[in-house]
Amino acid sequence: MKKDDFKVHPAVLDLKSDMEKGKVTRREFIRYSSLLGLSAAAAASMAGFPWSGAAWSASVKRGGKLKIAAPVHKVTHPAQFSWIAPSNQLRQIAEYLTYTDGDNVTHPYLLENWTASDDLKTWTLNLRKGVKFNNGDSFTADDVVFTMNQWLDESVGSSMLGMIGDYIDQTGIEKVSDHQVKLHLKRAEIGIPEHLFHYPALVLNHRTFEGDFIKAPHGTGPYLLESYREGEQCVIKRRKDYWKTGADGKNLPYLDETVFIDMGTEMAPMIAAIQSGDIDIIDFSDISATEAYQALKDDKNVNVSPSTTNQTRVLRMRVDLKPWTDNRVRTALKLCQHREKILALAYFGQGVQGQDVHVSPKHPEYCPIDTPKYNPEKAKQLLKEAGYPNGVNVDLAVGSGWKEIVRYAEILKEDAAPAGFKINIKTMPNSQYWEKWTEVALGITTWAHRPIGTMVLNLGYTADEDGKPAAWNETRWVDKEFSELLSRANGTLDIDKRRKIFCKLEKIQQDRGSIGNAFWINVWTITRKRVQGVKAHPSLYLKLDDAWVNA
Amino acid sequence: MAKFILRRFLLMLLTMFLVSIAVFLIVESSPGNVAKNILGAFITPEQEASFLAQSGLDKPILVRYAYWLVGSDWHAAQKINLPLKRLVTEKGFVEWWAVDEEKRLVRWELDGDDLIVNIRRDDGEVVKKKDNDRWRFADDGSARFWGVDRHNHAVLWEKGLDQEVWTFVAGTGWMVASGGPIEYIPLKKGFLRGDPGVSLRTGRPVAKSLMIRLRNSLVLAGIAFVIVMPLALFLGVIAGLKEGSFKDRFLSVTGMTFSVIPEFATGIFLILVMSHWLDLVPGATVFGEQAPWERPDMLILPVLTLTLVELGYVLRITRASMVEVMRSPYIRTAMLKGLPYHKVIFKHALRNALIAPITVIMLHVNWLLGGIVIVEVVFGYPGLGQYLLDSALYKDINALEAGAMIMVLLAVGTQLVADIIYTFLNPRIRYS
Amino acid sequence: MEQARNTETDPAKETPVDENILGFGPGLKHAAGILFSSKTAVAGLFLVLFWVLTALLAPYITQYTPTEQDWKSPNQGPSMEHPLGTDELGRDLWSRLAYGARIVLVVLPVTENFWIPGGTALWGVFASLLIGAGLGLFSGYYGGWIDEIIMRLLDAMMSIPVILLYLIIVAAIGASAVNVVFAIAIVGTPGVARLVRSLTLDIRTRDYVRAAETRGESPIYIMFVEILPNAKGPIIIDAMLRVGYAIFAMGTLGFLGLGLPPPSPDWGSMVAKGREFIMSGSPWAALWPSLAIASLVVGLNLLADGLREELTRYQ
Repeated sequence: MKKDDFKVHPAVLDLKSDMEKGKVTRREFIRYSSLLGLSAAAAASMAGFPWSGAAWSASVKRGGKLKIAAPVHKVTHPAQFSWIAPSNQLRQIAEYLTYTDGDNVTHPYLLENWTASDDLKTWTLNLRKGVKFNNGDSFTADDVVFTMNQWLDESVGSSMLGMIGDYIDQTGIEKVSDHQVKLHLKRAEIGIPEHLFHYPALVLNHRTFEGDFIKAPHGTGPYLLESYREGEQCVIKRRKDYWKTGADGKNLPYLDETVFIDMGTEMAPMIAAIQSGDIDIIDFSDISATEAYQALKDDKNVNVSPSTTNQTRVLRMRVDLKPWTDNRVRTALKLCQHREKILALAYFGQGVQGQDVHVSPKHPEYCPIDTPKYNPEKAKQLLKEAGYPNGVNVDLAVGSGWKEIVRYAEILKEDAAPAGFKINIKTMPNSQYWEKWTEVALGITTWAHRPIGTMVLNLGYTADEDGKPAAWNETRWVDKEFSELLSRANGTLDIDKRRKIFCKLEKIQQDRGSIGNAFWINVWTITRKRVQGVKAHPSLYLKLDDAWVNA
Repeated sequence: MAKFILRRFLLMLLTMFLVSIAVFLIVESSPGNVAKNILGAFITPEQEASFLAQSGLDKPILVRYAYWLVGSDWHAAQKINLPLKRLVTEKGFVEWWAVDEEKRLVRWELDGDDLIVNIRRDDGEVVKKKDNDRWRFADDGSARFWGVDRHNHAVLWEKGLDQEVWTFVAGTGWMVASGGPIEYIPLKKGFLRGDPGVSLRTGRPVAKSLMIRLRNSLVLAGIAFVIVMPLALFLGVIAGLKEGSFKDRFLSVTGMTFSVIPEFATGIFLILVMSHWLDLVPGATVFGEQAPWERPDMLILPVLTLTLVELGYVLRITRASMVEVMRSPYIRTAMLKGLPYHKVIFKHALRNALIAPITVIMLHVNWLLGGIVIVEVVFGYPGLGQYLLDSALYKDINALEAGAMIMVLLAVGTQLVADIIYTFLNPRIRYS
Repeated sequence: MEQARNTETDPAKETPVDENILGFGPGLKHAAGILFSSKTAVAGLFLVLFWVLTALLAPYITQYTPTEQDWKSPNQGPSMEHPLGTDELGRDLWSRLAYGARIVLVVLPVTENFWIPGGTALWGVFASLLIGAGLGLFSGYYGGWIDEIIMRLLDAMMSIPVILLYLIIVAAIGASAVNVVFAIAIVGTPGVARLVRSLTLDIRTRDYVRAAETRGESPIYIMFVEILPNAKGPIIIDAMLRVGYAIFAMGTLGFLGLGLPPPSPDWGSMVAKGREFIMSGSPWAALWPSLAIASLVVGLNLLADGLREELTRYQ
């Protein structure tokens, strides 16, 4: 941080005083100030933490080969990723501008550093110098501008567009010099560095990329793409001139080779294979891992490291369809969730209970709120008041591939019966559920990990300017007071003030919202004991540049 | 005889034709959204439309069936008015090119308002040039052009006065163009000409994936077959020799029991016991680059599962046939004549008893294939079965059709072989 | 799978048609006599009756309902409270097995609240009999080009691997009890049709059919009143085997995620769900329904075998 043009963002100082007053935890301070461009080490020292970076002892071993069970999907344009698994393969070849670690702290990666203007509307990204693509091209601002334009190109159809499209457009990306890019936003946004690590945000080579990464696999990452056979396997080999240096002073990566093998979706063979050592890691980023967790948690050859996440399974009711138009009916169904039981049986107790609010205790803005108790009598009463004295028949759509969701549904069916709900569970393959997830009246949807609470609420519970529910508003629930508070929260940087708004938001969603949510899940990074340096991540991103194996 | 074989052969073709139509119709009429299945749940309607158009799925069903069967290149060549050529690059990618008037390989791209021709030289290098002379203007001022694009489609580009499309051009940035592609024909040679097309799900040529998987499946099936057959015939003969004896009852009931426990349960129980508890053999098949025969230890459990499931069936056919033979007058006569027991069995009974099972077994290769699908899924075996299962779930029509055709070919083909063998073994049969 | 397995026991091949076999009315006593003279048949009958009785009496012989969840004790082995153990939601496995037998053999859950008598497997087989017998009769009785067309279409159907057929059918129309019946029916039809056709070819040369023809009876009358009742023996034996394979098929469909929707305790779905927990050391939930399927199918096979053996001996 010795650069003259680098100054500490004023909000960092406010944060610091909030932390000292005890309004903000140290962890939150580090996380927020790192978003504002303070390096994690500097933030930690301001917070009074001893900073212990990822310092590997010199005992690392070089060489060897890693085998990972992972689906090998069809991939063309990284910005078009809709699954995490392909990003876990290609992120070894291409890289991101930033890196958000398992503690939600964001670090510079292909960026040297960044600064934000006081109003958070102008962001200056300083690029790392001396980084080369694996085809020899230098990494410059042109590549960043090109990549960002790809995200914003509607014909590409990247999910990045939905994430950043409302605060920036292609005219807002300015190349200042070969190693500096400025972003001019339409509104204040603090999440930029985290967004740059969203899984479709791989940086592409503007000279060679023509829409199909597999045909021109030119990235700045630690590995070279050896072969890519969809549905079969993906082989990557060590690159010799990678920009990062390992603990032994030589270029990373430590591994010679990594193979991703597509073993289908059946869990038993993957479990058996990791037990026998035929594979080293199972990539669970897109599949449910409870079965493997159960089978492997006590295995002495396997490390199962949990991460708490903001991932949840949402019992969503469409408020524009009967009987869910009536808040009493919605509340009645929510009261039928025996949360302790659901968490214990559906997810083996591996998570925390939810409170019918789409803000997780792990979100920085989270305001503690009571967990509703299982109360079928009250639910019955509410149903009666709503005009269903003899109970009501409802269909519940679930994807049969998510075993924990099927169990959630079965438990709910049983426990809601005394209140008068007759639930018919409609199972379908997951792919069919995704076809109609926004259409069904009652269903259970998986929601991925998002580091900040406003991100989810903006996506799922708002309307556009015309009052039409947003694309991902699967329940069509739009509440005037809620929307106003939310837009206020979006523009509030002060964590403490933000949290006060969230207390109200959460109360509204719990009282008259459209979702039940019984639990927030843990995920597991499952590796053989010999694998070192693969860190647990709540989105199960695999970072293999400094992974190594004990022979 | 020749007439009979010819007749059966024609019937086989007819069957394959009917099956291909049936699969097409069923997949067509089933609900489900291919685009969402493949691109993920969160695509926009525009992306969906563009995906459907680029995959040729917006065409009428008859056209799609015709393209699948006999290819689309001839049709596209008519529109483009140039012959088309399919080549495989050094890296193994399939590319389609048009052959222009000067016998050069060409294809086009649109850059803003400009049509750019890519000319492939003999050394594989590509030269780009503006090629706006090819536009054909219509009376309303719009211009159209049919050509080959860089993604193996025949494309109709259009530019007109009233259209405005934003396109991003590498190196230049955003540009307003007044045109774009409005119709696509994905280029393929068609099933009859040995090109079943590209898998919608994986984007790989179906034939490429299918061959490796077919090989893997045949290895698995072959080993299982070699083990099951002699064992089942042997045990079946033993059971059938003395109908109703303890041996008979024990063998047939045990065989039957194993054959009716669902394969997926047998498979997982075997993994639990043999791999998890006893740690004797690997419980999964992970081949990576290797071929199945390079890791024979991994084949043990899948083969054992198949053996348990299939053994009972063959055993019972053999037994039934043996019982019948033992009851027949000529065996009784032979016994009465005082011939030694083993002589009667080996010289007379066995030969006749084995005709039926051997031919019946040949008739049911498709049933063996059914068992293999499940076993492959349970063990993560990279075979044809898993490929078909995934294809069916994703409505990947090209892959599904090709897989179904192979299965039908195997099933009907072996039936044909069985019939021929049977004719030789049993000349009493008359064919009309 | 069933089409293949049935060839082995294709009753038309081994059993000459006897109009009294398994007939009702005057033939009933006779049939019972045949049945009890075969030890195999009696053993089979015992197994089948065990499950039929369990299904009928399920509410009286179980302590719990099939959906009652004891959430403190999921995935337990056998114990005093739960003789066969519990599943992943703490439901009693014996209760689920007994009620599962009901779904297979006694009732068809059309929707959650509307049940009709006759098990899912039975309806599936019944439907394939209905369609198959119709096609077989027409084909066999008329012969000629009708026969040719019907048989070629059925040949085509038979050469599609069954698993593929299941997948396509159920993936296309979704998972429900009625659709499972539909899938079983479609897969079973060609086999039944072939059998009935071969029986028809045989019977139509009989004197009484000739007599009816000279009386001027309509073809429909001849097919359904003269021919079909006289072919029922082998058809019934064939149907018994088909019920067994229909149960097996329900398991396969459950495995593919296309079986009956939860919390249905049908055996196929039980195995399919229970298999998730085998690797984590709780094999019970998958073991019992696997054995149940096996024992019922073996029972049906033994019964059919025994009957056939006795019939051949009787002649």
